[in-house]
Amino acid sequence: MEIYLPIAGMSINFFLVIGIGGLVGFLSGLFGVGGGFLLTPLMMMIGIPPAVAAASDSCQIVAAASSGAFAHWRLGNVDFKLGLVILLGGITGGTIGVQLVKVLRAIGNFEFVMKVVYVLMLGLVGGAMFVESLRTIRRSRGAGFDSAAVAPSEPKLAQLFARLPLRMHFARSGLETSAIFPFSIGTIVGIMAALLGVGGGFIMVPAMIYIIGMPTIVAIGTDLFQIVITSANVTLQQAIVNRTVDLLLALILLAGSTIGAQFGALAGKRLKGEQIRILLAIIVLSLTVKLFLDLVLTPADLVSLAPAKGGGH
Amino acid sequence: MRRLATVLAWAGLWLATAGPAVAVSPAAKEKVLTAASKNLIEIGLSYRGDQVTFFGVNPVPGADLVVRLTAAKEEDIKLSVKGRVGPFWMTVKQYEVSGVPFMYKIHAAKPLEEIIPPETARELELGYEAIRQKMKLHLLRGEAAADDADKVFQGLLKIKEEANLYNIVTDPRRLEVKEGQLFKHYFRFPPAATEGTYQVESFAFVNGELVGYGRDLIEIRKVGLEHWLTYTSQNHPVFFGIFSVLVAMGAGLGVGFIFKKGGHH
Repeated sequence: MEIYLPIAGMSINFFLVIGIGGLVGFLSGLFGVGGGFLLTPLMMMIGIPPAVAAASDSCQIVAAASSGAFAHWRLGNVDFKLGLVILLGGITGGTIGVQLVKVLRAIGNFEFVMKVVYVLMLGLVGGAMFVESLRTIRRSRGAGFDSAAVAPSEPKLAQLFARLPLRMHFARSGLETSAIFPFSIGTIVGIMAALLGVGGGFIMVPAMIYIIGMPTIVAIGTDLFQIVITSANVTLQQAIVNRTVDLLLALILLAGSTIGAQFGALAGKRLKGEQIRILLAIIVLSLTVKLFLDLVLTPADLVSLAPAKGGGH
Repeated sequence: MRRLATVLAWAGLWLATAGPAVAVSPAAKEKVLTAASKNLIEIGLSYRGDQVTFFGVNPVPGADLVVRLTAAKEEDIKLSVKGRVGPFWMTVKQYEVSGVPFMYKIHAAKPLEEIIPPETARELELGYEAIRQKMKLHLLRGEAAADDADKVFQGLLKIKEEANLYNIVTDPRRLEVKEGQLFKHYFRFPPAATEGTYQVESFAFVNGELVGYGRDLIEIRKVGLEHWLTYTSQNHPVFFGIFSVLVAMGAGLGVGFIFKKGGHH
């Protein structure tokens, strides 16, 4: 069954798209992370123009994160004050990012820059995750006598950032810290959201816990809240500036990922934490290798169409 | 009425631009009567390209037929050329390309060079060589090289042929002619053929000279949801952006409600 995507300007197998949504949803349900960083590269592999893939992915993230954000909001897990500081950064970053996409597309190197950033980011995250979970597995085999040593102490970075100016009190997180770091990390994640079509939870949540020092559950709730608004901003700006949001594509992906996530969550209960993490690390690293090869191997076509105005057509 | 006016205006334009240098002006010859199985192709949700069959009568029995499909309007496109920068492959120059048709297909029963001399092919823009002659390149970024025109044209042909927007088929099986008079063939419009007007022109040649000409117009239009999404996103981007965000949030919350688990991120 073929479906015609109006903004991507192409006809594609419906089950292929919903299957990719389902696969990413399954992995995100299994690993408890957002799937944006997997979804954009996978869509590019099936021929969706990179800019349309990133923008439609942002739209899908708005949908996928909104119900989680709503649930956490009702449970009181959102630190609105800290969330707003991050959001200010997220909106600034997202707006800069969309303009960056526009310039890069005009000079024909959007895909190149996107892949470079993906390789760096996925390589770092995948590598760190791989090493960390290997260590955990070794330690649990080695009788676990030093498990106390790895419990996160008051992080040094958190102490350093807390001393910066613009100190604010965040009641929900029980913190007194500078607004500079939350704003900066928000900006960086906002730029990446526009450039890569990701939510950025895999950077934001560790940063909130280990660097800002927020309680884990509040970090997750606040992250979901900022993801919804940051991705909504990116979607809106992509629609206005680059006209690359394919709503039909986003909705099909949403349908697939919602179903996939349910099965992923079930499967996650049968696996151990470190097994899950090493699996995710392997997936992330193989994607990194694939994208890196795209950058260095001689491309099949040296001449390619540069986007005119509008979407993929 | 309007269609007749466009045809006349188009023919007039052709004569005006071609001038007296063109010995053979298609509009002045005998009419090749043709009919298409449909003149309107609609792009709906399940669109995967379409096929249109054409029937025609050869005005001079036994004359060689050449049928050409082009988009009514020419296209200005930008092409990126990749090059090596250190270990990486990235876009190193860009050309603005004008004068090339968006879509270009030719059907004939035998190779074009057996039907018409090269000058006629160039005048009537039949064959890839004629397009190459018409193509204009304008360097936007980067440094030009001597073989760029060739490289860009070959690259363009490859992109277009892969999307099934260009092809030249010279095979009697694709252009059936009965008793030298009745002919039948079909063109396939791939999903990449976007909205717009396309023309299918039939040329009849005797000993390399044009003796008949006919033209059909095919229109491709998006309909329903496809039309609405494309039109709104390109013409009312602010509204479309807000609408997309609201639909996404609504769908996300709705789905979360169905599964009662709060979804994922």
